[in-house]
Amino acid sequence: MLRTPHVLNHCSKYDGDEGLLKALIPCFWAASNVMPRRRANLIAYLFLLPWIIGLVAFVGGPIIAILPLSFTSWNLLGAPRWIGLRNYVEMFSGRGDFWPIVFNTLKYAIAGVFVSVIWSLFIALLLNRRVPGAGLAASLCFAPAVVPYIAMAFALQLLLRADLGVINYWLKCVGIQHPPDWLMDPDVVLWTLAAVTIYTYYTGQMMLIFDAALKQVPKELYEVASLDGASSLTIFRHITLPMISPILLFNVVIGFLNTLNMSFTIIYPLTAGGPGKASTVLSVDIYNNAFKGFRIGYACAEAVILFVLCALSTLFIFWLSKRRVYYEA
Amino acid sequence: MKRLVILLACVLASFGVFGEQIVIKYAHWNALPEDPFNYVKAFETLYPQYKIDFTLIAEAEYPATLRQMAATDTLPDVLCLWEHDIVEFAKAGYVIPLDKYLSQSKFLNIDDFIPATKELMEMQGGLYGLPWCYATHVLYYNKDLFDKKGIPYPNENWTWDDFVKAARALTDPAAGIYGCDAIVFHGIWWDLIGTFGDPIIDEQGRFAIGGGAEKLLTELYQLTQEGVIAKPATLAMGAAAVDLFAAGKAAMKFDGSWMTTQYKDITAFAWDIAPTPTVDGRRYVHLHTGFFAINAKSKVKDAAWKFIEFCLSHFGQTLIVRGETIFSSRASLASHGEGIYGIKGPTNWAAVPVQVENGHWGYLLFPSTVWMDAVNDFYAVMLGNISPATAVCRAIDRAKDILGADKVAPYAPCP
Repeated sequence: MLRTPHVLNHCSKYDGDEGLLKALIPCFWAASNVMPRRRANLIAYLFLLPWIIGLVAFVGGPIIAILPLSFTSWNLLGAPRWIGLRNYVEMFSGRGDFWPIVFNTLKYAIAGVFVSVIWSLFIALLLNRRVPGAGLAASLCFAPAVVPYIAMAFALQLLLRADLGVINYWLKCVGIQHPPDWLMDPDVVLWTLAAVTIYTYYTGQMMLIFDAALKQVPKELYEVASLDGASSLTIFRHITLPMISPILLFNVVIGFLNTLNMSFTIIYPLTAGGPGKASTVLSVDIYNNAFKGFRIGYACAEAVILFVLCALSTLFIFWLSKRRVYYEA
Repeated sequence: MKRLVILLACVLASFGVFGEQIVIKYAHWNALPEDPFNYVKAFETLYPQYKIDFTLIAEAEYPATLRQMAATDTLPDVLCLWEHDIVEFAKAGYVIPLDKYLSQSKFLNIDDFIPATKELMEMQGGLYGLPWCYATHVLYYNKDLFDKKGIPYPNENWTWDDFVKAARALTDPAAGIYGCDAIVFHGIWWDLIGTFGDPIIDEQGRFAIGGGAEKLLTELYQLTQEGVIAKPATLAMGAAAVDLFAAGKAAMKFDGSWMTTQYKDITAFAWDIAPTPTVDGRRYVHLHTGFFAINAKSKVKDAAWKFIEFCLSHFGQTLIVRGETIFSSRASLASHGEGIYGIKGPTNWAAVPVQVENGHWGYLLFPSTVWMDAVNDFYAVMLGNISPATAVCRAIDRAKDILGADKVAPYAPCP
């Protein structure tokens, strides 16, 4: 494969028991030094090819296919039928459930990000306090993040059930005679689901990222602030928060996208979008339309809207962060 | 010499001199039953010239996977299609009519199948599939709780009023006992809507609900408010985290006949099954099945029919029914009475034929988005979030969006 004589010579030293990987690393090193840059790039791309093929075939291709399919009517049997903008007209006409679903999606995403970022930051701050047992606490906080969502959903069902659930039992024990129906009250269900995001994998990840960021804040700043008599809240507001603001922005963006994308895995097993459409978000509706009702065209149109929503929201967060994020740290 | 003979035999075998084995591809959402009820193995033993290449498809993804197979031209020779899919696949030309095969069969007769088979055939203008077996819905009841209150057990003459009266009498808030559990399985809603007088699917094949649904929802909401029926708390597609009936906290429950496989191990109380109650003499029950069908592009159509014919034979049906704990789709065999007899119930398997007499495919002939969202709204009614009239009108509106206005029967109160 590598035809440049210098490179071949260099590579040949590693024949034998050294192993393929050990042999390839100096080959690349040699290639990048000796070969023309274009050729070296080509080789690098060749090695990337399997991943690129996977990306194009299983991610890029379907994403691109969604757009034309959103202008069709298709139930997966036979060929898609071109219907122009009819799917979008149906969505935006306001006759169906589209607008309440978009509203639910935004409400859930914003509340979910708020809950997960605040929770993970809170836990990370506690960990950085170096209190006894902080490591154990961190492990316990991270543990639910590795439980499969479907198992967690069943456990939460048992905890949150209005009549037989443990949470309402405790609330009744402390004198609250009419605790909420966490999963079946349309005014409460979305907030419950947003609160459940603290048990997700990405909230655990956020905690670790915050923890690492907090450890990077120079200790001198805290010492100086303490000598000046600054309160804990002032230190947090004027030192910690600005110093970790790039990481905070990163977590908010990632958290927002994850909340939108992962909403299905939390909501579907817990409420299936109900009661009524009270907890139906776009991802749940896309699944129902695509794989339960086989309205592939309409589901694709919804996916396009979800994509646009993600992109616009991310741009908005970046725009908002321009004046708030401190990159000098 | 010995080696030469073996070599020759191998060569001849590879050229198919000993008779070519026909491979029939077959897909199903249920794993094949264990021996001795493995009907595929039985078929292969009986007809060694055929080999079944079986594909198990996860139930949750079954219809979607079959459609993907159709789109990629990889459908198996023998399909077992769900109610709505048989309509769609036949319409799209993916499966062939079976009328010719059936007329040539020595022991299969359309009149011997559960009546709903003929109903669908007439609606489709041809026979595109034969039900491999069926399941239905029944009323489960806790005999101990009935005995405690001295209330006679439900029977086939029970009316809706009898049900309500008994449910009220059986409710005991102090003991945390409900007269009836909340509706968990979506099909029950449609059974009761049909029983309350709506056609569900009319003669023109339109989605048709209205007054019956509104009346039912009003009554059920009232009973839920009174605490006679438990408040709904369901998961996706009808799975509940807590089963009040199994826990002995609900005296009655409407559910699928397949729940007998779970309840058979109940030891805490005696229980049984009964036909669902009637309203003005009307009982409407849904049946669940898969229809054996033949892929239009199959190269082994006759062999595929041979396999289907075997599965629907007395022997094949006995294996399927016992292995899968469901009921034979052939009336002459179903009357033999097959069912689970658990520790404390059930015994009244005679309830099932009563249900079948009034059995329809009903809501199952429509795409699931038509009825799934409607069911979500019915739950919302029970929780007092929306009115019965709103739920019905929303169901009709949604059906119009999905099916087209001409495929939905009008209901005057809905604009």
